[in-house]
Amino acid sequence: MIEAQHLVKWYGPVQAIDGLSFEVPAGEVVGFLGPNGAGKSTTIRMLTGYLPPTSGTATIAGHNMLTDSRAARRKIGYLPESTPLYTEMRVSEYLHFCGKLFGMNRADRVKRIDEVTDKCGLSHNKRRVIGQLSKGNRQRVGIAQALLHDPPVLILDEPTSGLDPQQTLAFRELVQELRGKHTIMLSSHILPEIERSADRVIIIANGRIAAQGTPAELRERASQGGAVLVEAKASPEQMTHTLQAIRQVKAVRTEKHGDWCRAVIHSKDQSDLREPVAQALSAKGFTIREMHLEAPTLERYFVEAVVRRGA
Amino acid sequence: MTFTIAKRELQSLFYSPIAYVVLGGFAIGSSVFFIQGFQPGRPATMRGTLDMVVWLLIFLAPAISMRLVSEELRSGTYERLMTSPVNDLQVVLGKWMGALVFFCILLSPLLVQVAVLEVVAEPELGPIVTGLLGLILVGALYLAIGVFASAWTQNQIIAFLLTVFIIAIPTFAAFFLAEEAALKPALRHLVLYISVNNQYQDFAKGLIDIRNFVYFLSGTALFLFLAVKLVESRRWR
Repeated sequence: MIEAQHLVKWYGPVQAIDGLSFEVPAGEVVGFLGPNGAGKSTTIRMLTGYLPPTSGTATIAGHNMLTDSRAARRKIGYLPESTPLYTEMRVSEYLHFCGKLFGMNRADRVKRIDEVTDKCGLSHNKRRVIGQLSKGNRQRVGIAQALLHDPPVLILDEPTSGLDPQQTLAFRELVQELRGKHTIMLSSHILPEIERSADRVIIIANGRIAAQGTPAELRERASQGGAVLVEAKASPEQMTHTLQAIRQVKAVRTEKHGDWCRAVIHSKDQSDLREPVAQALSAKGFTIREMHLEAPTLERYFVEAVVRRGA
Repeated sequence: MTFTIAKRELQSLFYSPIAYVVLGGFAIGSSVFFIQGFQPGRPATMRGTLDMVVWLLIFLAPAISMRLVSEELRSGTYERLMTSPVNDLQVVLGKWMGALVFFCILLSPLLVQVAVLEVVAEPELGPIVTGLLGLILVGALYLAIGVFASAWTQNQIIAFLLTVFIIAIPTFAAFFLAEEAALKPALRHLVLYISVNNQYQDFAKGLIDIRNFVYFLSGTALFLFLAVKLVESRRWR
């Protein structure tokens, strides 16, 4: 549904995007992740036809963005970064304007505006002037606008920036509701958003794909080299001594908490250390009150990916 | 699509404070010119007022047009507009038309003055009608220059100054050079030809000359064309 082939973008002497290729099949929700300046917005602008690529092609629903741009643009609902809106207009006025740009007739517009404002939680604010709305509600107007003409492809650039936790949750539910009916591309630098909403995550850094896969796959890959955190009733010296004796242990860092000692343990071979650690500590008779594998977040993998790319 | 954009443009002009400054400025300015000529014994015409109004438009028309594209570039709404299925010509024409309708509303105080003349005397209506028609053509040209300048920059002040500058060149060239005795006749002819105020004279006199129409319409088309090219080139930057 969304296809990028060897996209390259130079801004004068600066290369922003360096041969980006990926494909999003129909109905998939894909998260597009990267730190600021990685080229997320540039890529999205090439996909939506705002910027032409220096080379390479973007294809939306079978329409080449360069040669068949208007047909391709018609298939996209787009929320640009930082949600630009005509602040002097009322919400319903603005949505009517957007509908007209996509060639919707009046009856369609009235019907769809009711539907999307309802979906986005804007029903009570339809008559309000956009400039007077809160950031969260403006964001909702931006999302409503993208949904209005019921496009097969939704491209949302940083859709959750500026939302409070409750609104973020509502947005996640909305994505859940839209899942399957639209092909959705969400960009973010806030990982939990993507982790929970996306079927697949594409991480880009320095204009290239640093990693891609399902959130579970990425977590799996990221978990390698994870650390074990354990808290037991022992002195730091006893802890260090006991833990260092385990064959796979590379490093131990301890911290005293009253009678208890907290240790973070890294392994040599990326194996799971929980079992040997538990055995070693109970063999010495130290009471364990907490132990867990340091949750390997996507964020961590993502940072590592960026560091690797930079190296 | 063009009308959709024109309508939104007109609406948003009325929401901006600058619109009311321009409307007020024109109402006051044109009234002052009118009252100066409104003396016992003077001929009952709008000619003096209209001649002065053309000068006033050098500053008022750019004030209307300066925000057309610049404001959208600044706020980012331009990106949403250009990623919807509209083409560049529709965007430029829509914006220009919206501004032109606003410009026609701007001229409405002149109708009040005509009505006043009608009450106290018997003015000849022919030159008044051609004079107003000419003003609309002047506005169409100035606003086309304005759309072009506005598509250059996201800074409204720069768009305003650029428009004034482009308009001022032919206007002041004629004003200062036409009387210059050393000027070659061919050059004098050229200077007078490109002067908007000079072209407007025929309308103010009550003449409808095809050459004046050609001047205004081709000038307007030229700058609208340049604006479309500029908008197009923005896609490639």
